[in-house]
Amino acid sequence: MTHIAARRATRAWILLVLLTVLNMVAGQAGAGGLVGSGVVLVAAVAKGRWMLMDFLKLRHVPPGWRILLSSWLVLVAASAWIAAAIPRLRG
Amino acid sequence: MMDAAQEDRHWGALSELPGHPMMWVLILTEVVTFGLLLATFTVTGAVQPGVFAAGRAQLDSALGGVNTLVLITSGCLAALAVEACMIECRRSARLLLAGAAALGCVFTAIKVAEYAAKVEAGIGLETDTFFTLYFLITGFHLLHVVLGIVIIAAVALHDSLENLKTGTAFWHMVDLVWVVMYPLIYLVG
Repeated sequence: MTHIAARRATRAWILLVLLTVLNMVAGQAGAGGLVGSGVVLVAAVAKGRWMLMDFLKLRHVPPGWRILLSSWLVLVAASAWIAAAIPRLRG
Repeated sequence: MMDAAQEDRHWGALSELPGHPMMWVLILTEVVTFGLLLATFTVTGAVQPGVFAAGRAQLDSALGGVNTLVLITSGCLAALAVEACMIECRRSARLLLAGAAALGCVFTAIKVAEYAAKVEAGIGLETDTFFTLYFLITGFHLLHVVLGIVIIAAVALHDSLENLKTGTAFWHMVDLVWVVMYPLIYLVG
């Protein structure tokens, strides 16, 4: 159990580093637009989800807690994407 | 005196989470607070897109990214500290916690350097709406990082498994909030 949990935490760290570097490259390249913003925000939600599961260890708690905290991630990311879309839709 | 089963019933669903339920009351409160602050930031960004685009262009997104790498590495060390404690490797757990706290200090130093660079460039709290919210939200988060370092140091000294789970849960919340805050403030818009 602990060995598996430690391996999961390490694997999550590798994925988090890769996604962060991807975000940094996208930021430096000026990858803007709604698609670019969407990709960056989806990556943020994925990172948050891995942190909840493998750092905070919510993998073994009742699903309601995972749904609640994952919903917070999705809600914040979705509101950021919608807020970025509004000025563009207005032209 | 309440026994463990009575205390679990007292806290209800919160007792299902890792660490002390009281810490989870704090974590959930903070998650809601940061959610509202970030919503304020995004809604204001939709109302003033020009001001926010100009403000964002003056931020160093690479520095924000480096700080993200620092904090997620710190979070990983904290998670591994709990695992080390579970197999009774107290020395390893303490070293991992020391590493997590040290990286928290690195995050703080980078953030302070970032603020100093802004002040040097003549940018402050009252420059515009973007920078008012930037300083307030990231500054509020930075206070949590400093508090988290203190909590990590405290649980390294009093290193029961329950204490480690409680202290690292707070640290992971600080980490989680930053992972969402970084793209919102530095990248998206």
